[in-house]
Amino acid sequence: MPEPKSKALYWWGLVITVLGILSNFIYFLNVPEALVRWLPWVSLIVPIIGVLLLLAGLRSFWASVPRWRKILSAVVTVILVGLTAFSAWGFVHAREVPASAGAPKLGQKVPDFTLADTTGRSVSLTDLLSTPLANSARPKAVLLVFYRGYW
Amino acid sequence: MAISVDTPEESRDLCRKAGYTFTVLSDPKLDAIRRYDLVHHGGGPEGHDISRPAEFLVDSSGTVRWENFAEDVRVRARADEMLAVAHKIQ
Repeated sequence: MPEPKSKALYWWGLVITVLGILSNFIYFLNVPEALVRWLPWVSLIVPIIGVLLLLAGLRSFWASVPRWRKILSAVVTVILVGLTAFSAWGFVHAREVPASAGAPKLGQKVPDFTLADTTGRSVSLTDLLSTPLANSARPKAVLLVFYRGYW
Repeated sequence: MAISVDTPEESRDLCRKAGYTFTVLSDPKLDAIRRYDLVHHGGGPEGHDISRPAEFLVDSSGTVRWENFAEDVRVRARADEMLAVAHKIQ
C-alpha cells in the first residue's frame, strides 16, 4: 500500500520547519548583505509554513499503529511549534528599536563628544577628524559605528 | 571608529579577540549615545540601557554624508557597504 500523501506533508513540514529555525543562526556567518536583509523574514515565515504542513500531515500519524509513532509525531510537532513561536518572538523583539527621531540627519552637522578609548585616553570626534593619518594626510571622513556592546 | 556602553576594559578585550585596530570608544554613561538619540532603553542583556545599532559617515566638516539605522538589530550595515560609501568621499 502506498504511503498516504499527508505523511509526505509531515516530513516536508519537519524539514522546512527545522531549516527555518536554523536560519536564525546564519547571522553568525559572514553572508552577503543582500541575503542578511531578507533573513529576518525567512526566519519568521519559513518555520510557520513548515508548521502548517506538519499540522496538516499529523493526521496520518494519528491514525497509525504502533502507538509510539502517534506519540512521537505529536511530541515533535509540539516542540517545533514552540521553536517556531520563539523564532517569531525573536523577529518582533529584534525590531523593538527606538525611533531615533532626533538623530543627526543627512547633511546635518553631528554633535561632538569626548569619550575614553580602550587605553582610557580621552578622544573627541574633532580629534579623530583632525589627527593626521599614517601617510600624514588629514582624514577625509570618520565612520561612527554605534553598536550594542559585546556580550 | 566604534562606540558602545562597554567599559574600556571590555572593549580592549573585544579588540584583542577580534583583532580590531580602529578606535573603540566607551560611553558607559550614554553621553554621546543620548546626544545622537540612539538610546535603546532596557536593550542590554541585563535590561540596562544601551545604544541601538546605527552608523554615520561624517566628513571632515562634521557633516553626515551617509547614515544607516538598523530596523532589525540583527541586520546591521556591512563592511563592504560602508567602504563603498567611504570611497565616494573626496
